[in-house]
Amino acid sequence: MLLLLSVALLTAYFRESDSGVAHSVQGAVLTVVSPLQSGTATATKPFRDAWNWVGDLFSAKSQNKSLKKEVQQLRAGLANELTTQSENDQLRAMLQFQKDHVFPKDVTLVTARVVARSTSAWYSTATINAGSSAGVKVYDAVVNGQGLVGRVTKVNLNAAQVLLVTDQQSFVDAMIEPGDATGNAQGIVSGSVTGDVTLEYVDKNEKVKVGQYVVTSGRNGSVFVRGIPIGVVESVGAQEVELYQSIAVKPFVDFRKLDIVQVITR
Amino acid sequence: MSIIRPMKDAPERSLPSGSEIARLVVVLLVAVLLQTTVAPHLRLLGAYPDFALIAVVCVALLKGSETGALFGFLTGILTAIALMEPFGLSAFVFVLVGYFAGRYAETADLPAGFAPLLTVFVATLVANVLFAMAQFLLAREVPLGFFLGRVLVPSLVFNTLLAAPLYLLVRAWLRGAGDLRAAARA
Repeated sequence: MLLLLSVALLTAYFRESDSGVAHSVQGAVLTVVSPLQSGTATATKPFRDAWNWVGDLFSAKSQNKSLKKEVQQLRAGLANELTTQSENDQLRAMLQFQKDHVFPKDVTLVTARVVARSTSAWYSTATINAGSSAGVKVYDAVVNGQGLVGRVTKVNLNAAQVLLVTDQQSFVDAMIEPGDATGNAQGIVSGSVTGDVTLEYVDKNEKVKVGQYVVTSGRNGSVFVRGIPIGVVESVGAQEVELYQSIAVKPFVDFRKLDIVQVITR
Repeated sequence: MSIIRPMKDAPERSLPSGSEIARLVVVLLVAVLLQTTVAPHLRLLGAYPDFALIAVVCVALLKGSETGALFGFLTGILTAIALMEPFGLSAFVFVLVGYFAGRYAETADLPAGFAPLLTVFVATLVANVLFAMAQFLLAREVPLGFFLGRVLVPSLVFNTLLAAPLYLLVRAWLRGAGDLRAAARA
């Protein structure tokens, strides 16, 4: 009987709208559970930090090698970067692009804490302790100090579900920064079941280099405002037979350590 | 050597008392909170521990198939609510795990120390296969190599390692009141 009930619930959940009975029950119970999750997340933070520290220790050795290499590359590129930055600033002032790199005036940032995470390998979602009562809506972008975290997919009174950029059903309008004389190469950043993030649908004639930044493009109709950092180009693969390039992106956000985030609400 | 006794030999179970229900509710809440707030930060070999699944197995081993199935159902529902995921899928899997783990405890004749490890190992295997099949049915990408190497094997290792200590904790909390093997031996 419980098995039948489970199947019936699953079917009802997928068939009904967001205001249906199953969703309403879920929302009501979550209103009670959410403060418990928030309290548990706060109380266990020292232990989680200790675990992360041990994990970081093991990966520090390998990171040290790659960081040394990265420092060399950064030093080499610094002079060029300063020149480019100067030119870039002037061009921005001329074309009034400065405003594109701050959030629009009608935007409000809602600060929230990640109180729960899915441990399923098939979903990359997080639950935050801010919901409709704080003005959070479905499709709102979620960021932290490092860059784009994801977007809101479900909202409850005091909680919301965030689909992370790494989820295989996450798609983000993005562009390569800095662009060239012809503009910025544009594409769609998508996640995968393995957690790898790729920039897709970039024309193979576009010149994309390793180390370039990937940011949200904020195209008309996009749920994301322009200029939110997503990651850095890790590798570029182009095959003659393909129309588009295969670009691997390393996200700026460390998704293992998500804690405080901000929801961009309009 | 037969390790399974006929079903008619299984000891009869009475309904849990109010005190037992209260203790089971605490196990349920702690398991779900650990699963949703602590487990995501305890990554090892690419996998996360499944406190909820282990709790279902422990309760089923200690309290039997009916309580195990009901506990599994409630754990699945509460986990789905806490993570704002679709109802039913986790509940379906956990009901199966709870019921068959309970049946195993009611009928098997293996040493007590070995049973939680074996049951959690098999439950993890079954649950992961069922979850992967559900993803396939939902038209999501399910690469076999990823499933085996990054999901199944690490989960089996992680959950089996945690099985014994968590079983001892749950048994101590529930005061061993429903230890079916002990009852059967008596």
